Amino acid sequence: MSPTWKEAYRLHVVAFTELAYQAIYAVRQGNLPPTLAAGSLARKARRRVLQSKLLVSLLLAFITIGTGVVLGTTAKTFLAPALAAPLYDETVIAGLLLLDVAFLWWTGLQVLPSYLSSQVLPTLDALPVPDRSVSRAAFLLFLRLFDLPALTVIAVTPIVVGRALGSAWAGLAIIPGAVSAVVFGLALSLATGKFFLRHVQGATGGSRRGTVLRWAYLVLWTIPAFTMYGYVSLGPGLIGWMTSVTASGAGGALDGILATYPFPLASLPSLLLSGSVTVPDAGLGPIAIVVVGGAVYGSITWAAASWLLDAPGALARASAGGHAGVVTDRRLVPRSAPFAVIVKDLRIASRTPGFAFIILLPLLDAVAIGAWTVLAAPTASGAFNIASAAVATAALLATFFGPAFFAIEVMGYSYTRTLPLTERSLVLGKLSLVTTLYAVAAGTVLGIGLARLFEPLSFLGFILAEFPAVAAAALLELGLLVRVARRRGLPVTNLYSGSWWVMGVSIPGVLMAGVPLALFEIFRSVSVTTGLGVMAAVALAELAVAAPLALAGSSGRGA
Amino acid sequence: MGTPDSAATPLEVRGLVVRYGERTAVQDLSFQVRTGEIYGLLGSNGAGKSSTMKSVVGLLRPQSGSIRVLGFDPVTQGVEAKRLIGYVPETPLLFDALSAKEFLEFVASVRAIDAATANRRLENFAKAFQIEAELHQPIGLLSMGTRQKVLFMAALLHRPKLLVLDEPLHALDPRSVRIARELLRQHANSHAGGVLLSTHAMEVAERLCDRVGILDRGVLRGEGTIAELRGSASASLEEAFLKLTREEEGVREAVLSLGVD
Repeated sequence: MSPTWKEAYRLHVVAFTELAYQAIYAVRQGNLPPTLAAGSLARKARRRVLQSKLLVSLLLAFITIGTGVVLGTTAKTFLAPALAAPLYDETVIAGLLLLDVAFLWWTGLQVLPSYLSSQVLPTLDALPVPDRSVSRAAFLLFLRLFDLPALTVIAVTPIVVGRALGSAWAGLAIIPGAVSAVVFGLALSLATGKFFLRHVQGATGGSRRGTVLRWAYLVLWTIPAFTMYGYVSLGPGLIGWMTSVTASGAGGALDGILATYPFPLASLPSLLLSGSVTVPDAGLGPIAIVVVGGAVYGSITWAAASWLLDAPGALARASAGGHAGVVTDRRLVPRSAPFAVIVKDLRIASRTPGFAFIILLPLLDAVAIGAWTVLAAPTASGAFNIASAAVATAALLATFFGPAFFAIEVMGYSYTRTLPLTERSLVLGKLSLVTTLYAVAAGTVLGIGLARLFEPLSFLGFILAEFPAVAAAALLELGLLVRVARRRGLPVTNLYSGSWWVMGVSIPGVLMAGVPLALFEIFRSVSVTTGLGVMAAVALAELAVAAPLALAGSSGRGA
Repeated sequence: MGTPDSAATPLEVRGLVVRYGERTAVQDLSFQVRTGEIYGLLGSNGAGKSSTMKSVVGLLRPQSGSIRVLGFDPVTQGVEAKRLIGYVPETPLLFDALSAKEFLEFVASVRAIDAATANRRLENFAKAFQIEAELHQPIGLLSMGTRQKVLFMAALLHRPKLLVLDEPLHALDPRSVRIARELLRQHANSHAGGVLLSTHAMEVAERLCDRVGILDRGVLRGEGTIAELRGSASASLEEAFLKLTREEEGVREAVLSLGVD
């Protein structure tokens, strides 16, 4: 190890404790840590970061193993009997690699604020240490946030692919693809992080145009999350499309796909196993595309990895370069406390991708599936099924991500706690945000799908019947989180601090929102009206139970 | 909603104890901030000033003792007590993603200040502190001093009965320090409330405080007006401070040890 890397390693070990401490307790974001001795705070912070990394790694391992099941011959026979084996394998593996890129990218976007707000770099910069050592320390720190997830991708993917394809060589052949997925995921999170600093976080307020622009940028940020969604929902469609392209002999389209990232790297196991990347008599053309493409993407991966060496340091040193816009209106518009909480959350989300994502996901999901309702459903009753699935997804997404709205409170947390804001106002504000999200998403599906819907009044009834269940689920989740935060003095914050609690609380919430949906599916076989009646009755009963539980005694208690 | 006891003092602290694990930050601390008074908590770094301030505003739950803000307990009657308090923390950590104007709007909403009053006060404060141009900037982009000004504005927006200021002047420019001092004096005189401020700058205490409590390793070593403290110890407040905190000897030794070899 060179002296520079030795020094960087030594620096990063010390700095990582500070980074973990800031990520968990968010002291530089305005929170007060619990009244514990410094040593035990640091130990707890390091343990929580490790737990969160394990959680992300387990999820990645689970996805990879799931893909291994899809790669098996049985699944292929069921999903794509007519597609050539190499093409089927490449498509599934390419989907997995894309998913890895997207997952690491998205995780990076979540973690980046903790990395930047920890202010570790300016502290290291003040030391009499060469810039190069500090830059390398920054790289190691950034890498440390992803070490277990990155290792999981690089280690589990070859094992799963090798086992599914019955060859250790096939497993080894996917290593370049796995490494490139990790490098691209990390590089994308840093590159978009730079963009975010300049155009979103650094954007001044005050004009409608600026706000619209910020939200437009944030829509772009949801793309990685949609890759995950697309993998699950569009994967079978892609395989079907590949089958029809191969059958019709559209070689140009196939060559285009083969040249697109990550197909060349995903094709290496097939190439090694069968000597072919498409159909047996396709000639050398597709193989040449895969080999050249592999070399090109390999070079880009190498360049991205070199860029990554300095990028974390450069990003941490860069200040958000916002410039003062034209001040249009300086007047304050005071609102009721719950409404003020909603407005504050929306404003913070407009400059914070992690929170914007939570708001945009159910809405974009509704728009995407709503449009699909109009375009793809062969019959009106089919349209009802797709539209109700879209509304159900929006309800479940809104309740699953609802607890994350509480995480906004980590910012300026200690200051907010000195304001006379009651727990009731806080919970009601967040509840309104979750239910509004559901209502807007469901209304969008209704609006887009109106032309194709069978019995639009029944569909409206479906949306209204689910509404109390969404409110009950959000109340249950938020009520529990407020209690946790009060008891532990800890803001339930981002992925690296409160993920266990947020996930733990989400499970009963999602169950609560899901039970009326499941009952509708069961009872609609009797009649749609019966299904809706049962659904509404259960949803209202849930609300009657959850509301007093969540709001009892909260009106006089400070948030 | 409770109403404040007009006969009660703005702040009464009795037997306050704050511990962090094994370490005791504040030990059996008692003092009062009277109506119309600016009370200064003077102490070195780590003396327990900020822990006391945080307990008063309800951020820390003390291990024992009692605090009353115009009769309200910040722990059990947090909302009532917080309605009466304006707080400027030592480190201006706020919602970095909100602009200063958006933050002040949130504070005005939670404190239920009507629009006309809030805007009149905002206009006056912004002019006085010369931050009209920065009101639309995200707080994360503001300098430390500008953030401190925003916090001052937020603390004074509702004309609180008790102002709690933790090292309030350290990041301000000389012009703003002067304005802030005048504001605090006016506030103490005209709103029938009190001001509790912490500082380790003797000059701030001498110029601003009616009474001072000297805190050392969590224990109150002395209390009184500046004249009383000077009289009971020696000529300057600094000397009185060093004597009461028994740091005089240590300072002499430290200076000697730092001498040129």
